[in-house]
Amino acid sequence: MSTAPVIQVRSLEKRYDKVEAVKGIDFQVDAGEVFGLLGPNGAGKTSTIEILEGLRPRTGGEATVLGFDPHRQTQQLKDRIGVCLQATNLPAKMRVQEALELFGSFYTRSISSEQLLNRLQLWEKRAAYYETLSGGQKQRLALALALVNDPQLLFLDEPTTGLDPQIRLEIHKLIEELKSEKRTVVLTTHYIEEAERLCDRVAIIDEGKIVAMGTPRELQQKSRMQSRIDIVTAQPLNGNALPHWPEALETSLADDSRSLTVYSSRPARTLFEIMKWLDQQGLHLEDVHLKRPTLEDVFVELTGKKLRD
Amino acid sequence: MKEYLAIIAMDMKLALRLRAVIFFNYLFPLIFFFTFAAFMGRNSEQIAYVVRMSVTLGVLGSGFFGAGIRAIQDRELNILRRYKVTPITPAPILVGSMVTGWLIFLPYIVLLLFLAHVFYHMPLPEHMLGLLVFISLALIAFRALGLVIASVANNMQEGQILVQLFYFPLLLLGGATIPADNFRGVMRTIHNFVPSTYLVDGMLNMMNKGQGLFVNWKHVLVLIATTFIGGFISMKLFRWEKEEKISGSAKWWVVLALLPFIVMGVWQSLR
Repeated sequence: MSTAPVIQVRSLEKRYDKVEAVKGIDFQVDAGEVFGLLGPNGAGKTSTIEILEGLRPRTGGEATVLGFDPHRQTQQLKDRIGVCLQATNLPAKMRVQEALELFGSFYTRSISSEQLLNRLQLWEKRAAYYETLSGGQKQRLALALALVNDPQLLFLDEPTTGLDPQIRLEIHKLIEELKSEKRTVVLTTHYIEEAERLCDRVAIIDEGKIVAMGTPRELQQKSRMQSRIDIVTAQPLNGNALPHWPEALETSLADDSRSLTVYSSRPARTLFEIMKWLDQQGLHLEDVHLKRPTLEDVFVELTGKKLRD
Repeated sequence: MKEYLAIIAMDMKLALRLRAVIFFNYLFPLIFFFTFAAFMGRNSEQIAYVVRMSVTLGVLGSGFFGAGIRAIQDRELNILRRYKVTPITPAPILVGSMVTGWLIFLPYIVLLLFLAHVFYHMPLPEHMLGLLVFISLALIAFRALGLVIASVANNMQEGQILVQLFYFPLLLLGGATIPADNFRGVMRTIHNFVPSTYLVDGMLNMMNKGQGLFVNWKHVLVLIATTFIGGFISMKLFRWEKEEKISGSAKWWVVLALLPFIVMGVWQSLR
Protein backbone atom coordinates (compact mmCIF):
# COMPACT_ATOMS: atom_id res chain seq x y z
CA MET A 1 0.00 0.00 0.00
CA SER A 2 1.23 3.49 -0.86
CA THR A 3 2.42 5.57 2.07
CA ALA A 4 1.52 8.88 0.40
CA PRO A 5 -1.27 10.68 2.23
CA VAL A 6 -4.70 10.25 0.67
CA ILE A 7 -5.59 13.83 1.56
CA GLN A 8 -3.16 16.68 1.99
CA VAL A 9 -4.43 20.11 3.03
CA ARG A 10 -2.25 23.20 3.49
CA SER A 11 -3.41 26.66 4.59
CA LEU A 12 -6.91 25.95 3.27
CA GLU A 13 -9.23 28.94 3.24
CA LYS A 14 -12.86 29.46 2.31
CA ARG A 15 -14.64 32.79 2.29
CA TYR A 16 -18.30 33.46 1.51
CA ASP A 17 -18.55 37.20 0.80
CA LYS A 18 -17.40 38.68 4.10
CA VAL A 19 -17.67 35.48 6.14
CA GLU A 20 -14.47 33.48 6.62
CA ALA A 21 -15.70 29.92 7.03
CA VAL A 22 -12.28 28.22 6.90
CA LYS A 23 -9.22 30.16 8.08
CA GLY A 24 -6.06 28.48 6.86
CA ILE A 25 -6.18 24.92 8.12
CA ASP A 26 -3.58 22.17 7.64
CA PHE A 27 -3.97 18.42 7.97
CA GLN A 28 -3.38 15.17 6.18
CA VAL A 29 -5.21 11.89 6.11
CA ASP A 30 -3.38 8.61 5.55
CA ALA A 31 -4.66 5.55 3.69
CA GLY A 32 -6.96 3.33 5.73
CA GLU A 33 -7.49 5.96 8.38
CA VAL A 34 -10.83 7.15 9.79
CA PHE A 35 -10.34 10.86 10.26
CA GLY A 36 -12.91 12.90 12.12
CA LEU A 37 -13.69 16.57 11.84
CA LEU A 38 -15.37 17.48 15.08
CA GLY A 39 -17.01 20.79 15.78
CA PRO A 40 -20.25 22.64 16.42
CA ASN A 41 -22.59 23.82 13.67
CA GLY A 42 -21.00 26.55 11.59
CA ALA A 43 -17.45 25.61 12.63
CA GLY A 44 -16.33 25.08 9.02
CA LYS A 45 -16.53 21.27 8.87
CA THR A 46 -18.91 21.05 5.94
CA SER A 47 -17.12 23.80 4.00
CA THR A 48 -13.84 21.91 4.44
CA ILE A 49 -15.27 18.57 3.41
CA GLU A 50 -17.13 20.06 0.42
CA ILE A 51 -13.94 21.66 -0.86
CA LEU A 52 -12.23 18.27 -0.65
CA GLU A 53 -15.15 16.59 -2.45
CA GLY A 54 -14.80 19.06 -5.32
CA LEU A 55 -18.20 20.63 -4.63
CA ARG A 56 -16.93 24.12 -3.78
CA PRO A 57 -13.87 26.07 -4.88
CA ARG A 58 -11.41 27.05 -2.17
CA THR A 59 -10.52 30.69 -1.65
CA GLY A 60 -6.90 30.01 -0.70
CA GLY A 61 -4.38 27.34 0.19
CA GLU A 62 -3.72 23.95 -1.32
CA ALA A 63 -5.54 20.64 -1.29
CA THR A 64 -4.92 17.29 -2.96
CA VAL A 65 -7.22 14.32 -2.68
CA LEU A 66 -6.08 10.96 -4.09
CA GLY A 67 -3.49 12.97 -5.99
CA PHE A 68 -6.12 15.19 -7.64
CA ASP A 69 -6.71 18.88 -7.18
CA PRO A 70 -10.39 18.93 -6.13
CA HIS A 71 -11.04 22.22 -7.93
CA ARG A 72 -9.26 21.49 -11.20
CA GLN A 73 -9.70 17.72 -11.57
CA THR A 74 -13.22 17.55 -10.21
CA GLN A 75 -14.70 14.89 -12.49
CA GLN A 76 -11.75 12.48 -12.09
CA LEU A 77 -11.91 12.94 -8.33
CA LYS A 78 -15.67 12.46 -8.11
CA ASP A 79 -15.32 9.22 -10.05
CA ARG A 80 -13.04 7.81 -7.35
CA ILE A 81 -14.66 8.95 -4.10
CA GLY A 82 -17.86 8.12 -2.27
CA VAL A 83 -19.89 10.88 -0.65
CA CYS A 84 -22.71 10.78 1.86
CA LEU A 85 -24.14 14.28 2.10
CA GLN A 86 -25.68 15.89 5.13
CA ALA A 87 -28.90 16.95 3.41
CA THR A 88 -29.99 15.23 0.26
CA ASN A 89 -33.03 13.71 -1.33
CA LEU A 90 -34.17 11.46 -4.16
CA PRO A 91 -37.35 11.63 -6.24
CA ALA A 92 -40.32 10.34 -4.24
CA LYS A 93 -41.25 7.67 -6.77
CA MET A 94 -37.75 6.30 -7.32
CA ARG A 95 -37.33 2.71 -6.12
CA VAL A 96 -34.37 1.76 -3.95
CA GLN A 97 -32.74 -0.60 -6.46
CA GLU A 98 -33.38 1.80 -9.33
CA ALA A 99 -31.53 4.53 -7.43
CA LEU A 100 -28.48 2.31 -7.00
CA GLU A 101 -28.52 1.29 -10.66
CA LEU A 102 -28.99 4.87 -11.86
CA PHE A 103 -26.17 6.29 -9.76
CA GLY A 104 -23.96 3.29 -10.59
CA SER A 105 -24.26 4.22 -14.27
CA PHE A 106 -22.53 7.57 -13.61
CA TYR A 107 -19.19 5.97 -12.66
CA THR A 108 -16.52 4.24 -14.70
CA ARG A 109 -16.72 1.34 -12.24
CA SER A 110 -19.58 0.24 -10.04
CA ILE A 111 -20.57 -2.70 -7.91
CA SER A 112 -23.80 -4.64 -8.29
CA SER A 113 -26.92 -3.23 -6.72
CA GLU A 114 -27.76 -6.67 -5.26
CA GLN A 115 -24.48 -6.72 -3.36
CA LEU A 116 -25.12 -3.24 -1.93
CA LEU A 117 -28.73 -4.00 -1.04
CA ASN A 118 -27.64 -7.04 0.93
CA ARG A 119 -24.79 -5.26 2.61
CA LEU A 120 -26.89 -2.29 3.70
CA GLN A 121 -29.82 -4.53 4.72
CA LEU A 122 -32.06 -2.99 2.09
CA TRP A 123 -32.84 -6.13 0.10
CA GLU A 124 -36.39 -6.33 1.46
CA LYS A 125 -36.90 -2.70 0.49
CA ARG A 126 -35.39 -2.92 -3.00
CA ALA A 127 -38.73 -2.29 -4.73
CA ALA A 128 -39.94 0.35 -2.26
CA TYR A 129 -40.39 3.95 -3.33
CA TYR A 130 -38.02 6.42 -1.71
CA GLU A 131 -40.97 8.30 -0.18
CA THR A 132 -41.99 5.21 1.81
CA LEU A 133 -38.59 4.67 3.50
CA SER A 134 -37.96 5.52 7.15
CA GLY A 135 -35.21 7.98 8.14
CA GLY A 136 -32.80 5.14 8.91
CA GLN A 137 -33.52 3.37 5.63
CA LYS A 138 -32.99 6.61 3.71
CA GLN A 139 -29.65 7.05 5.43
CA ARG A 140 -28.66 3.46 4.66
CA LEU A 141 -29.55 4.12 1.03
CA ALA A 142 -27.45 7.30 1.12
CA LEU A 143 -24.52 5.21 2.35
CA ALA A 144 -25.19 2.56 -0.31
CA LEU A 145 -25.07 5.33 -2.94
CA ALA A 146 -21.76 6.49 -1.48
CA LEU A 147 -20.41 2.95 -1.96
CA VAL A 148 -21.82 2.38 -5.44
CA ASN A 149 -18.46 3.00 -7.16
CA ASP A 150 -16.54 0.91 -4.61
CA PRO A 151 -14.49 3.93 -3.47
CA GLN A 152 -11.31 3.70 -1.42
CA LEU A 153 -12.04 7.13 0.06
CA LEU A 154 -15.38 8.08 1.59
CA PHE A 155 -16.62 11.40 2.90
CA LEU A 156 -19.43 11.04 5.40
CA ASP A 157 -20.91 14.37 6.40
CA GLU A 158 -22.77 13.94 9.70
CA PRO A 159 -24.09 10.52 8.67
CA THR A 160 -26.08 9.91 11.85
CA THR A 161 -27.49 13.35 12.60
CA GLY A 162 -31.16 13.16 13.46
CA LEU A 163 -31.28 9.36 13.58
CA ASP A 164 -32.46 7.39 16.59
CA PRO A 165 -29.79 5.63 18.72
CA GLN A 166 -30.42 2.16 17.29
CA ILE A 167 -30.02 3.30 13.68
CA ARG A 168 -26.97 5.29 14.74
CA LEU A 169 -25.39 2.12 16.09
CA GLU A 170 -26.12 0.33 12.81
CA ILE A 171 -24.39 3.11 10.89
CA HIS A 172 -21.44 2.93 13.32
CA LYS A 173 -21.11 -0.79 12.62
CA LEU A 174 -21.06 -0.12 8.92
CA ILE A 175 -18.34 2.51 9.30
CA GLU A 176 -16.34 0.03 11.38
CA GLU A 177 -16.69 -2.48 8.55
CA LEU A 178 -15.42 0.11 6.08
CA LYS A 179 -12.50 0.70 8.41
CA SER A 180 -11.71 -3.02 8.59
CA GLU A 181 -11.69 -3.08 4.78
CA LYS A 182 -8.89 -0.47 4.95
CA ARG A 183 -10.97 2.21 3.27
CA THR A 184 -10.14 5.78 4.16
CA VAL A 185 -13.03 7.64 5.74
CA VAL A 186 -13.38 11.34 6.49
CA LEU A 187 -16.22 11.83 8.92
CA THR A 188 -17.74 15.04 10.20
CA THR A 189 -19.81 14.81 13.32
CA HIS A 190 -20.89 16.68 16.37
CA TYR A 191 -21.47 13.47 18.31
CA ILE A 192 -18.53 12.93 20.67
CA GLU A 193 -19.15 9.23 21.17
CA GLU A 194 -19.13 8.77 17.39
CA ALA A 195 -15.70 10.36 17.08
CA GLU A 196 -14.35 8.46 20.09
CA ARG A 197 -15.65 5.14 18.84
CA LEU A 198 -14.89 5.40 15.14
CA CYS A 199 -12.02 7.77 14.49
CA ASP A 200 -8.33 6.95 14.43
CA ARG A 201 -7.59 10.66 14.53
CA VAL A 202 -9.71 13.71 15.17
CA ALA A 203 -9.32 17.37 14.30
CA ILE A 204 -11.31 19.69 16.53
CA ILE A 205 -12.45 22.60 14.42
CA ASP A 206 -13.90 25.83 15.72
CA GLU A 207 -14.60 29.10 13.93
CA GLY A 208 -12.76 27.88 10.84
CA LYS A 209 -9.58 26.84 12.63
CA ILE A 210 -8.23 23.51 13.85
CA VAL A 211 -7.76 23.97 17.57
CA ALA A 212 -6.41 20.47 18.28
CA MET A 213 -5.62 17.31 16.36
CA GLY A 214 -4.56 13.79 17.29
CA THR A 215 -5.93 10.41 18.31
CA PRO A 216 -8.88 10.65 20.71
CA ARG A 217 -6.55 9.30 23.45
CA GLU A 218 -3.85 11.88 22.68
CA LEU A 219 -6.38 14.68 22.83
CA GLN A 220 -7.73 13.42 26.12
CA GLN A 221 -4.19 13.23 27.53
CA LYS A 222 -3.44 16.77 26.39
CA SER A 223 -6.29 17.98 28.51
CA ARG A 224 -5.40 19.84 31.66
CA MET A 225 -8.41 18.25 33.25
CA GLN A 226 -7.78 15.47 35.76
CA SER A 227 -9.03 11.92 35.73
CA ARG A 228 -11.44 10.92 38.44
CA ILE A 229 -11.19 7.67 40.42
CA ASP A 230 -14.30 6.47 42.24
CA ILE A 231 -13.90 3.70 44.79
CA VAL A 232 -16.47 1.96 46.99
CA THR A 233 -15.22 -0.18 49.87
CA ALA A 234 -17.02 -2.86 51.83
CA GLN A 235 -16.02 -1.32 55.19
CA PRO A 236 -16.20 2.36 56.22
CA LEU A 237 -13.03 4.42 55.91
CA ASN A 238 -11.66 6.85 58.45
CA GLY A 239 -11.57 10.23 56.73
CA ASN A 240 -8.84 11.53 58.98
CA ALA A 241 -6.53 8.58 58.32
CA LEU A 242 -6.45 8.76 54.53
CA PRO A 243 -2.90 9.13 53.18
CA HIS A 244 -1.78 11.45 50.40
CA TRP A 245 -1.46 9.14 47.40
CA PRO A 246 1.13 10.01 44.73
CA GLU A 247 -0.16 12.33 41.94
CA ALA A 248 -3.50 12.69 43.76
CA LEU A 249 -4.69 16.29 43.56
CA GLU A 250 -7.86 16.12 45.57
CA THR A 251 -9.48 13.48 47.74
CA SER A 252 -12.98 13.39 49.21
CA LEU A 253 -15.00 10.86 51.19
CA ALA A 254 -18.78 10.72 50.93
CA ASP A 255 -21.09 10.78 53.96
CA ASP A 256 -21.48 7.00 53.87
CA SER A 257 -17.68 6.80 54.57
CA ARG A 258 -17.38 4.08 51.93
CA SER A 259 -17.40 6.10 48.69
CA LEU A 260 -14.04 7.66 47.99
CA THR A 261 -13.32 10.07 45.12
CA VAL A 262 -9.76 10.93 44.13
CA TYR A 263 -8.72 13.33 41.31
CA SER A 264 -5.35 12.61 39.77
CA SER A 265 -3.10 13.83 36.96
CA ARG A 266 -1.65 10.29 36.57
CA PRO A 267 -4.60 8.05 37.37
CA ALA A 268 -2.92 4.67 36.73
CA ARG A 269 -0.17 5.40 39.29
CA THR A 270 -2.60 6.81 41.85
CA LEU A 271 -4.98 3.88 41.44
CA PHE A 272 -2.16 1.40 41.91
CA GLU A 273 -1.16 3.10 45.17
CA ILE A 274 -4.75 3.19 46.44
CA MET A 275 -5.14 -0.53 45.74
CA LYS A 276 -1.90 -1.25 47.57
CA TRP A 277 -3.03 0.85 50.57
CA LEU A 278 -6.45 -0.85 50.71
CA ASP A 279 -4.76 -4.23 50.68
CA GLN A 280 -2.40 -3.21 53.48
CA GLN A 281 -5.36 -1.97 55.55
CA GLY A 282 -7.21 -5.25 54.97
CA LEU A 283 -10.10 -3.39 53.33
CA HIS A 284 -12.23 -5.03 50.64
CA LEU A 285 -13.02 -3.28 47.40
CA GLU A 286 -16.62 -3.33 46.17
CA ASP A 287 -16.44 -1.11 43.10
CA VAL A 288 -13.96 1.01 41.21
CA HIS A 289 -14.38 3.48 38.29
CA LEU A 290 -11.80 5.48 36.41
CA LYS A 291 -13.16 8.36 34.33
CA ARG A 292 -10.75 10.06 31.97
CA PRO A 293 -11.60 13.43 30.38
CA THR A 294 -13.78 12.84 27.31
CA LEU A 295 -13.38 14.52 23.96
CA GLU A 296 -16.34 16.63 24.98
CA ASP A 297 -14.34 17.84 28.04
CA VAL A 298 -11.37 18.55 25.77
CA PHE A 299 -13.58 20.38 23.33
CA VAL A 300 -15.13 22.54 26.03
CA GLU A 301 -11.68 23.24 27.46
CA LEU A 302 -10.28 24.30 24.08
CA THR A 303 -13.18 26.27 22.71
CA GLY A 304 -15.23 27.27 25.70
CA LYS A 305 -18.28 25.94 23.86
CA LYS A 306 -20.44 22.86 23.90
CA LEU A 307 -20.38 20.79 20.73
CA ARG A 308 -24.04 21.34 19.99
CA ASP A 309 -23.89 25.11 20.48
CA MET B 1 -23.46 7.73 -23.08
CA LYS B 2 -24.72 5.21 -20.51
CA GLU B 3 -25.55 8.01 -18.06
CA TYR B 4 -27.73 9.71 -20.71
CA LEU B 5 -29.67 6.50 -21.34
CA ALA B 6 -29.95 5.74 -17.62
CA ILE B 7 -31.31 9.22 -16.84
CA ILE B 8 -33.78 9.14 -19.74
CA ALA B 9 -35.01 5.67 -18.70
CA MET B 10 -35.34 6.77 -15.07
CA ASP B 11 -37.08 10.05 -15.96
CA MET B 12 -39.57 8.12 -18.09
CA LYS B 13 -40.34 5.71 -15.25
CA LEU B 14 -40.73 8.56 -12.77
CA ALA B 15 -42.95 10.55 -15.13
CA LEU B 16 -45.27 7.65 -15.80
CA ARG B 17 -45.62 7.00 -12.06
CA LEU B 18 -46.91 10.49 -11.43
CA ARG B 19 -50.62 11.00 -11.88
CA ALA B 20 -50.06 14.71 -12.50
CA VAL B 21 -47.89 13.93 -15.53
CA ILE B 22 -50.54 11.65 -17.01
CA PHE B 23 -53.25 14.20 -16.28
CA PHE B 24 -51.49 17.24 -17.72
CA ASN B 25 -49.98 15.46 -20.72
CA TYR B 26 -52.94 13.34 -21.80
CA LEU B 27 -56.21 13.81 -19.95
CA PHE B 28 -56.31 17.58 -19.60
CA PRO B 29 -55.45 18.34 -23.28
CA LEU B 30 -57.95 15.69 -24.39
CA ILE B 31 -60.71 17.16 -22.22
CA PHE B 32 -59.77 20.54 -23.62
CA PHE B 33 -59.85 19.19 -27.18
CA PHE B 34 -63.21 17.48 -26.89
CA THR B 35 -64.79 20.44 -25.10
CA PHE B 36 -63.71 22.95 -27.73
CA ALA B 37 -64.39 20.55 -30.56
CA ALA B 38 -67.96 20.17 -29.28
CA PHE B 39 -68.48 23.95 -29.55
CA MET B 40 -66.39 24.77 -32.58
CA GLY B 41 -65.95 21.58 -34.55
CA ARG B 42 -68.38 22.33 -37.32
CA ASN B 43 -65.88 21.83 -40.13
CA SER B 44 -62.43 20.37 -40.57
CA GLU B 45 -60.79 23.80 -40.65
CA GLN B 46 -62.18 24.63 -37.23
CA ILE B 47 -61.17 21.22 -35.90
CA ALA B 48 -57.63 21.86 -37.17
CA TYR B 49 -57.75 25.14 -35.25
CA VAL B 50 -58.77 23.29 -32.06
CA VAL B 51 -55.98 20.75 -32.67
CA ARG B 52 -53.42 23.57 -33.00
CA MET B 53 -54.74 25.15 -29.83
CA SER B 54 -54.52 21.85 -27.96
CA VAL B 55 -51.01 21.14 -29.26
CA THR B 56 -49.81 24.64 -28.33
CA LEU B 57 -51.29 24.30 -24.86
CA GLY B 58 -49.49 20.98 -24.46
CA VAL B 59 -46.15 22.23 -25.83
CA LEU B 60 -46.15 25.32 -23.62
CA GLY B 61 -47.27 23.33 -20.58
CA SER B 62 -44.60 20.70 -21.16
CA GLY B 63 -41.92 23.35 -21.67
CA PHE B 64 -42.63 25.74 -18.87
CA PHE B 65 -44.23 23.51 -16.24
CA GLY B 66 -42.95 20.05 -17.20
CA ALA B 67 -39.33 21.09 -17.74
CA GLY B 68 -38.98 24.47 -16.01
CA ILE B 69 -40.92 24.09 -12.78
CA ARG B 70 -39.85 20.45 -12.40
CA ALA B 71 -36.16 21.45 -12.64
CA ILE B 72 -36.63 24.12 -9.96
CA GLN B 73 -38.46 21.60 -7.78
CA ASP B 74 -35.61 19.07 -8.08
CA ARG B 75 -33.15 21.76 -7.02
CA GLU B 76 -35.33 23.00 -4.14
CA LEU B 77 -35.82 19.45 -2.83
CA ASN B 78 -32.03 18.84 -2.77
CA ILE B 79 -32.38 16.12 -5.40
CA LEU B 80 -29.86 17.70 -7.77
CA ARG B 81 -27.42 17.99 -4.86
CA ARG B 82 -27.14 14.18 -4.79
CA TYR B 83 -26.24 14.21 -8.51
CA LYS B 84 -23.65 16.91 -7.88
CA VAL B 85 -21.37 14.56 -5.96
CA THR B 86 -21.18 12.14 -8.90
CA PRO B 87 -18.93 12.60 -11.95
CA ILE B 88 -21.75 13.63 -14.31
CA THR B 89 -22.13 17.09 -15.84
CA PRO B 90 -25.49 18.92 -16.17
CA ALA B 91 -25.73 17.80 -19.84
CA PRO B 92 -27.34 14.36 -19.25
CA ILE B 93 -29.87 15.90 -16.87
CA LEU B 94 -30.86 18.63 -19.35
CA VAL B 95 -30.90 16.31 -22.36
CA GLY B 96 -32.82 13.76 -20.29
CA SER B 97 -35.47 16.37 -19.50
CA MET B 98 -35.88 17.35 -23.16
CA VAL B 99 -35.98 13.77 -24.47
CA THR B 100 -38.35 12.53 -21.76
CA GLY B 101 -40.77 15.37 -22.42
CA TRP B 102 -40.73 14.51 -26.11
CA LEU B 103 -41.23 10.76 -25.54
CA ILE B 104 -44.19 11.46 -23.28
CA PHE B 105 -45.80 14.07 -25.51
CA LEU B 106 -45.40 12.51 -28.97
CA PRO B 107 -47.98 9.71 -28.43
CA TYR B 108 -50.48 12.40 -27.44
CA ILE B 109 -49.97 14.22 -30.74
CA VAL B 110 -50.50 11.02 -32.73
CA LEU B 111 -53.60 10.24 -30.65
CA LEU B 112 -54.96 13.77 -31.07
CA LEU B 113 -54.59 13.74 -34.87
CA PHE B 114 -56.17 10.28 -34.97
CA LEU B 115 -59.15 11.34 -32.80
CA ALA B 116 -59.66 14.53 -34.82
CA HIS B 117 -59.69 12.44 -37.98
CA VAL B 118 -61.98 9.69 -36.71
CA PHE B 119 -64.50 11.76 -34.72
CA TYR B 120 -64.47 15.05 -36.62
CA HIS B 121 -63.32 14.00 -40.09
CA MET B 122 -60.30 16.26 -40.09
CA PRO B 123 -58.13 15.21 -43.04
CA LEU B 124 -54.79 13.82 -41.96
CA PRO B 125 -51.92 16.17 -42.87
CA GLU B 126 -50.32 15.51 -46.22
CA HIS B 127 -46.89 15.52 -44.60
CA MET B 128 -47.68 13.68 -41.39
CA LEU B 129 -44.08 12.81 -40.58
CA GLY B 130 -42.99 16.38 -41.27
CA LEU B 131 -45.68 17.69 -38.91
CA LEU B 132 -44.63 15.29 -36.15
CA VAL B 133 -40.99 16.32 -36.58
CA PHE B 134 -41.98 19.98 -36.49
CA ILE B 135 -44.04 19.61 -33.30
CA SER B 136 -41.20 17.58 -31.77
CA LEU B 137 -38.72 20.36 -32.55
CA ALA B 138 -41.10 22.89 -31.00
CA LEU B 139 -41.56 20.79 -27.90
CA ILE B 140 -37.80 20.43 -27.40
CA ALA B 141 -37.25 24.16 -28.04
CA PHE B 142 -39.87 25.18 -25.49
CA ARG B 143 -38.49 22.71 -22.96
CA ALA B 144 -35.10 24.36 -23.49
CA LEU B 145 -36.75 27.73 -22.75
CA GLY B 146 -38.34 26.23 -19.62
CA LEU B 147 -34.91 25.03 -18.50
CA VAL B 148 -33.46 28.53 -19.02
CA ILE B 149 -36.18 29.90 -16.75
CA ALA B 150 -35.30 27.22 -14.18
CA SER B 151 -31.65 28.27 -14.42
CA VAL B 152 -32.32 31.94 -13.72
CA ALA B 153 -35.01 31.52 -11.06
CA ASN B 154 -33.60 31.49 -7.54
CA ASN B 155 -36.57 29.74 -5.99
CA MET B 156 -39.98 28.31 -6.76
CA GLN B 157 -41.73 31.65 -6.25
CA GLU B 158 -39.51 33.39 -8.80
CA GLY B 159 -39.90 30.43 -11.13
CA GLN B 160 -43.70 30.57 -10.96
CA ILE B 161 -43.69 34.29 -11.71
CA LEU B 162 -41.35 33.92 -14.68
CA VAL B 163 -43.29 30.95 -16.06
CA GLN B 164 -46.61 32.81 -15.82
CA LEU B 165 -45.04 35.85 -17.48
CA PHE B 166 -44.26 33.65 -20.48
CA TYR B 167 -47.04 31.10 -20.47
CA PHE B 168 -50.12 33.31 -20.79
CA PRO B 169 -48.77 35.83 -23.33
CA LEU B 170 -47.49 32.96 -25.46
CA LEU B 171 -50.81 31.17 -25.21
CA LEU B 172 -52.88 34.25 -26.00
CA LEU B 173 -50.71 36.15 -28.48
CA GLY B 174 -49.22 33.36 -30.56
CA GLY B 175 -52.39 32.77 -32.57
CA ALA B 176 -53.30 29.50 -30.91
CA THR B 177 -56.25 30.74 -28.86
CA ILE B 178 -57.04 34.09 -30.52
CA PRO B 179 -56.65 33.65 -34.29
CA ALA B 180 -53.76 35.72 -35.67
CA ASP B 181 -56.03 37.43 -38.21
CA ASN B 182 -57.59 39.34 -35.31
CA PHE B 183 -54.32 41.07 -34.44
CA ARG B 184 -53.94 44.56 -35.90
CA GLY B 185 -51.34 47.33 -35.57
CA VAL B 186 -49.19 47.04 -32.46
CA MET B 187 -50.75 43.73 -31.55
CA ARG B 188 -49.69 42.36 -34.91
CA THR B 189 -46.12 43.52 -34.27
CA ILE B 190 -46.14 41.96 -30.82
CA HIS B 191 -47.54 38.76 -32.34
CA ASN B 192 -44.52 38.62 -34.66
CA PHE B 193 -42.17 38.55 -31.67
CA VAL B 194 -44.04 35.90 -29.67
CA PRO B 195 -42.23 32.52 -29.80
CA SER B 196 -45.41 30.44 -29.99
CA THR B 197 -46.36 32.28 -33.21
CA TYR B 198 -43.82 30.18 -35.10
CA LEU B 199 -45.19 26.95 -33.69
CA VAL B 200 -48.79 27.89 -34.58
CA ASP B 201 -47.84 29.28 -38.00
CA GLY B 202 -45.82 26.22 -38.89
CA MET B 203 -48.64 23.89 -37.87
CA LEU B 204 -51.15 26.01 -39.83
CA ASN B 205 -48.99 25.79 -42.93
CA MET B 206 -48.57 22.04 -42.62
CA MET B 207 -52.12 21.15 -41.59
CA ASN B 208 -54.20 23.55 -43.67
CA LYS B 209 -51.99 24.38 -46.63
CA GLY B 210 -50.44 20.95 -47.16
CA GLN B 211 -46.91 22.29 -46.84
CA GLY B 212 -43.97 20.12 -45.88
CA LEU B 213 -41.25 20.59 -43.31
CA PHE B 214 -38.67 22.07 -45.68
CA VAL B 215 -40.97 24.79 -46.98
CA ASN B 216 -41.18 25.98 -43.38
CA TRP B 217 -37.42 26.05 -42.98
CA LYS B 218 -37.44 29.45 -41.26
CA HIS B 219 -39.76 28.15 -38.56
CA VAL B 220 -37.66 25.02 -38.22
CA LEU B 221 -34.48 27.02 -38.03
CA VAL B 222 -35.79 29.30 -35.31
CA LEU B 223 -36.85 26.31 -33.20
CA ILE B 224 -33.51 24.54 -33.65
CA ALA B 225 -31.63 27.75 -32.82
CA THR B 226 -33.76 28.18 -29.68
CA THR B 227 -32.98 24.60 -28.63
CA PHE B 228 -29.25 25.15 -28.97
CA ILE B 229 -29.15 28.61 -27.42
CA GLY B 230 -31.52 27.54 -24.61
CA GLY B 231 -29.54 24.35 -24.03
CA PHE B 232 -26.27 26.28 -23.93
CA ILE B 233 -27.59 28.90 -21.49
CA SER B 234 -29.22 26.38 -19.17
CA MET B 235 -25.99 24.36 -19.18
CA LYS B 236 -23.94 27.48 -18.43
CA LEU B 237 -26.22 28.70 -15.64
CA PHE B 238 -27.09 25.26 -14.25
CA ARG B 239 -27.20 25.16 -10.46
CA TRP B 240 -27.25 21.97 -8.42
CA GLU B 241 -28.16 23.53 -5.08
CA LYS B 242 -30.80 25.96 -3.88
CA GLU B 243 -28.14 27.80 -1.87
CA GLU B 244 -26.31 28.78 -5.06
CA LYS B 245 -28.08 32.02 -5.99
CA ILE B 246 -27.89 33.82 -9.28
CA SER B 247 -27.73 37.60 -9.65
CA GLY B 248 -30.79 39.55 -10.77
CA SER B 249 -29.01 40.67 -13.92
CA ALA B 250 -28.51 37.04 -14.97
CA LYS B 251 -32.23 36.92 -15.73
CA TRP B 252 -31.42 38.78 -18.94
CA TRP B 253 -30.04 35.48 -20.26
CA VAL B 254 -33.69 34.62 -20.95
CA VAL B 255 -33.70 37.41 -23.53
CA LEU B 256 -30.70 35.80 -25.22
CA ALA B 257 -32.58 32.50 -25.35
CA LEU B 258 -35.38 34.35 -27.14
CA LEU B 259 -32.96 35.86 -29.68
CA PRO B 260 -34.09 33.65 -32.61
CA PHE B 261 -37.68 34.79 -32.06
CA ILE B 262 -36.61 38.42 -31.77
CA VAL B 263 -34.71 38.16 -35.07
CA MET B 264 -37.74 36.54 -36.72
CA GLY B 265 -40.03 39.20 -35.22
CA VAL B 266 -37.92 42.01 -36.63
CA TRP B 267 -37.76 40.32 -39.99
CA GLN B 268 -41.53 39.70 -40.12
CA SER B 269 -42.31 43.25 -39.00
CA LEU B 270 -40.06 44.83 -41.59
CA ARG B 271 -41.35 42.61 -44.37
